Amino acid sequence: MLVGAFAVAHTPQLLIRPETEDRALVLRVHEAMARVKRRLEALRVDALAVIAGDHVEAFFLDAVPALAVYVGRECAGTFGPYRYRLPIHEALARAVVEQGIERGFDLLYTQDAKLDYAFYVPLHFVMPEPARPIVPLHVNVYLPPQPTPARCHAWGRALGEILGARPERVALIASGGMSHFPGTDRYASPEFDYDRGLLEVLADGRGRELARLTGEELDKRGNIELRTWITLLGAVGDVRADVYCYEPSWHHGNAVVEWPLGASPKAIL
Amino acid sequence: MTEAAHYRFPPSSAYALNRCLYALKSDQKFAERFLADPKAAAAEHGLTEEERAELGRMDRDALVARGAHPYLVFMAGLRLRMLAEPGTLEYF
Repeated sequence: MLVGAFAVAHTPQLLIRPETEDRALVLRVHEAMARVKRRLEALRVDALAVIAGDHVEAFFLDAVPALAVYVGRECAGTFGPYRYRLPIHEALARAVVEQGIERGFDLLYTQDAKLDYAFYVPLHFVMPEPARPIVPLHVNVYLPPQPTPARCHAWGRALGEILGARPERVALIASGGMSHFPGTDRYASPEFDYDRGLLEVLADGRGRELARLTGEELDKRGNIELRTWITLLGAVGDVRADVYCYEPSWHHGNAVVEWPLGASPKAIL
Repeated sequence: MTEAAHYRFPPSSAYALNRCLYALKSDQKFAERFLADPKAAAAEHGLTEEERAELGRMDRDALVARGAHPYLVFMAGLRLRMLAEPGTLEYF
């Protein structure tokens, strides 16, 4: 069953802070992520299904999957001095890939692809104790043509149904976002107002509206990674988002969000 | 996706260049060779003289204009910096 849903920023400056980054801001994002960790512990999750866009790490131009599922025993990767190796919840991962394909989603699966930092950075901060196995789910965000928001939403809906029918208590975590333009002349001018507008829509329980965005719009707004959130939104439906933080740095809209499942948002406020 | 997009379809004419940027980002031994001798390391990927020169000075605009993926340029630069100046970073 699906017991939790979160979105967590993964910008590498949260893990390795250069002096260009406001330390107090970074620590505020860390605090929001620590809150996710406490929630995951309280929710007694058995596994974390992490939706992230591989940053041309596992998948270079030799093979560019739109959607992929890691189904091995474990997965590993590196980021600078960080060396990580995480167990995969194999039974859950196999159910996702088998039932996903059965439902018409032509998923790539891998038993040994490298795990990008887009998966690792949120887990570095939110992994509950003791650690839980994960199911890494890749959505192509960086190598055009990417899957459409509508397709991501449809995949998320199927994913939610597949996870919902499982005996394990699963939390979904969408990694990435919000507005940022790495490697372009827009790097220092993200679309923070656009982000705030999106967060209002999400807090209002109208997440399905994001499925109607175009890929062109996402690119223009520095929100190509929002595909991971839109996938999650397919699974959580019209639940109102609880925004833990929105911290705009000089180059990145850092957000941490929960969609509280099984409780009315008012009760949580 | 229009040509005005920030992230465009990577042209095959820039494949070797993108392959080299990918190696800088994801292959630490290659990045170390590049720091020691940028032109010799770039030559391993068969880059042209112009591409090697642009890469040597990390000329983002020129690299992107010839089809380099902007994210790869960005992360290759960050990874080289992480290697060259590890003391300037705070690790969490």
